[in-house]
Amino acid sequence: MVLVTSVRDYINRMLQDISGMKVLILDSETVSNVSIVYSQSELLQKEVFLVEMIDSISVSKESMSHLKAVYFIRPTSDNIQKLRYQLANPRFGEYHLFFSNLLKDTQIHILADSDEQEVVQQVQEYYADFVSGDPYHFTLNMASNHLYMIPAVVDPSGLQRFSDRVVDGIAAVFLALKRRPVIRYQRTSDTAKRIAHETAKLMYQHESALFDFRRTESSPLLLVIDRRDDPVTPLLNQWTYQAMVHELIGLQDNKVDLKSIGSLPKDQQVEVVLSSEQDAFFKSNMYENFGDIGMNIKRMVDDFQQVAKSNQNIQTVEDMARFVDNYPEYKKMQGNVSKHVTLVTEMSKLVEARKLMTVSQTEQDLACNGGQGAAYEAVTDLLNNESVSDIDRLRLVMLYALRYEKENPVQLMQLFNKLASRSPKYKPGLVQFLLKQAGVEKRTGDLFGNRDLLNIARNMARGLKGVENVYTQHQPLLFQTMESITRGRLRDVDYPFVGDHFQQGRPQEVVIFMVGGTTYEESRSVALQNATNSGVRFILGGTAVLNSKRFLKDLEEAQRISRSGSHMV
Amino acid sequence: MATRNRTLLFRKYRSSLRSVRAPMGSSSSSTVTEHNSLTGAKSGLGPVIEMASTSLLNPNRSYAPVSTEDPGNSSRGTVTVGLPPDWVDVSEEISVYIQRARTKMAELGKAHAKALMPSFGDGKEDQHQIESLTQEITFLLKKSEKQLQRLSAAGPSEDSNVRKNVQRSLATDLQNLSMELRKKQSTYLKRLRLQKEDGSDIEMNLNGSSYKAEDDDFDDMVFSEHQISKIKKSEEISVEREKEIQQVVESVSELAQIMKDLSALVIDQGTIVDRIDYNIQNVASTVDDGLKQLQKAERTQRQGGMVMCASVLVILCFVMLVLLILKEILL
Repeated sequence: MVLVTSVRDYINRMLQDISGMKVLILDSETVSNVSIVYSQSELLQKEVFLVEMIDSISVSKESMSHLKAVYFIRPTSDNIQKLRYQLANPRFGEYHLFFSNLLKDTQIHILADSDEQEVVQQVQEYYADFVSGDPYHFTLNMASNHLYMIPAVVDPSGLQRFSDRVVDGIAAVFLALKRRPVIRYQRTSDTAKRIAHETAKLMYQHESALFDFRRTESSPLLLVIDRRDDPVTPLLNQWTYQAMVHELIGLQDNKVDLKSIGSLPKDQQVEVVLSSEQDAFFKSNMYENFGDIGMNIKRMVDDFQQVAKSNQNIQTVEDMARFVDNYPEYKKMQGNVSKHVTLVTEMSKLVEARKLMTVSQTEQDLACNGGQGAAYEAVTDLLNNESVSDIDRLRLVMLYALRYEKENPVQLMQLFNKLASRSPKYKPGLVQFLLKQAGVEKRTGDLFGNRDLLNIARNMARGLKGVENVYTQHQPLLFQTMESITRGRLRDVDYPFVGDHFQQGRPQEVVIFMVGGTTYEESRSVALQNATNSGVRFILGGTAVLNSKRFLKDLEEAQRISRSGSHMV
Repeated sequence: MATRNRTLLFRKYRSSLRSVRAPMGSSSSSTVTEHNSLTGAKSGLGPVIEMASTSLLNPNRSYAPVSTEDPGNSSRGTVTVGLPPDWVDVSEEISVYIQRARTKMAELGKAHAKALMPSFGDGKEDQHQIESLTQEITFLLKKSEKQLQRLSAAGPSEDSNVRKNVQRSLATDLQNLSMELRKKQSTYLKRLRLQKEDGSDIEMNLNGSSYKAEDDDFDDMVFSEHQISKIKKSEEISVEREKEIQQVVESVSELAQIMKDLSALVIDQGTIVDRIDYNIQNVASTVDDGLKQLQKAERTQRQGGMVMCASVLVILCFVMLVLLILKEILL
């Protein structure tokens, strides 16, 4: 709630003091920030009658001086140049500039220089520089996410840009929350270390005055960790509603694009919105597993059919009047029901076609339970199975390799060969690349619960007790990290403090930033943890929101670059 | 949430840069302003400087806001807010109607409450007032809705997007108003019916008791008197009921028509159409589509056989004319 409310507050403040007809101008990144929290009808209420992108606004020559322009853009050099040109040839009556992050003095100078007509009324920094669609989850939607896997020597400028964007995003989050945190990072990750140090420099040195907020009794904690510490979670298939939609179809800024499925009848909705803020059914079902969702949807359809029947049964005048009164709600309910039914139907079809029930069972076994021999058998069987798709085969081999990296290298080699022979599009060496990036030597956390005795015992107990649902038995590593923080037992050796920061006791607010991306399974874990009211509130953020396709794409991209990089070297 | 205001720094830079520029450009800028004031022709400065009067209507709907500060300072032509296009007048008219309808709705609410209170009078004038108010409001809503259709624009331009959005926003207001009216009417009718039933029950009881009392005496005459009065009463009630039902049917059908027209314009909240990024994408794609269509049309028109035919015919005409003249000359 917190971050969503902050962005909405920023937008409200931007629009409320400016009277008259307005045009809102966004860039390609802020359009996501705004669209996910603010609706078009709310904009219309605030008298914003046109929304444009900063790229397309200079194309048209129409002068619309009866409109006031409200710019909300990122302070990149690209945007500043475009703005320069537009200020020199102003199309609108007034210009109000809002930047989503810190401006450099040179940039203000450039803008002042080009504002010869003196159309600019205000220049403000409103720090809504992140995309937050769920209460405790935000993302930076970065396109070049793969850069975190590449060592600095290969592409230093690229990594610098990556790091700058992340630092800007994290700074914006804390400015929106009005807090200055104590910073810790994962020792084994260079990228995390770099980002943590640069954030500390920004908050405590360069812009120390800006971040000097009222101190509370315990400072919040910023923990910067690396995706490669838990490569298992993005590879797994998901069975809870929000995570499943993202895994099977794809959820971008709370929108689902059904065009990729391709098998829809003509009049069906092609793009739908899945927002926990606006859709009550989604809000109560986003973390439920597939079976429960099916039942709840059936109940919703039954309710709706009853309402529809009573609407058809119009006999008296009062019935007619009531129908006309309730028509908008009826229409809304109808749209909602059809949306969820379509989604669940499409997902069921995909589960059926890709045989995901069997595949996922093996995946969960690989992730949670032991037994190398049985695992090898199961994976080999599925590799031989014709109806299993290439991407699923690749995931299975990767999960096996991550778990049994050191055991029985011969069998591991056999699996690699089988994978290469079965999947024509497979980029050779990808699994080995993954092991180099996220293998057992690189990881800090106890991913499979087989490092310390306590975890082994816990796993054995769980195995004996049995699990509720075989398909959702996996807990992301993040859950353990959150538990350690709640108990105040996050090891300094593994997660050192930056500089001379120190924290007494346990923090009350924690922002965990995962370099490389988060998953919806992890955001679900955070939401459930927050619901237990343990005294610590967690917020999770990342450079992107991953599903298995995206994670594999990042791996491939990183592999390609490091190969060409090594050729250059 | 933290913010930082950079306007002061910006203004400082701007004024200092202006003073750096001014000595060089003062002559050119003064000629430019003269040119402007004389002809009002277009220059790089944009439209003519005119201060449109602030709208006196709805406080949150002023379409011609006041412009920049320090007017005396600027020697060059500051671009102030110019005159908005014509359709803005139509939208202002509609918002006037909506405002008027709102005040009338408040009056209607009061009139409803007064009519529902038990009174000794006939209640006919209250009914009259309610009827006339309801009719006025419905008339205003219908007029606004007709005007709203005029706002529809053709062609994918930025101005048409603004028009469409203004139309949508007004449509939402109209729909909310009509729903409010419906709700008010139905609650009033419900309460009225309850009251009437209570009233008629009491009357029935009175009649019944007096009937019993005079039972033994003037049997037939009393019977028929009572019967006649009862029949008359139930006739009156049924006539009134019919009138009410007629009213309700009329208003329901009118409002249903309005709602049907409006629902095409109003955005359904929570759907994909309510997303800003979806609307931006759509605009881009329709503009692209429009451009492609135009190009295609141009191409087919150019290649059209019609053009060829027409030119051939014209040439033939000329040839014939020449032949005719030659014939005349030779003869």
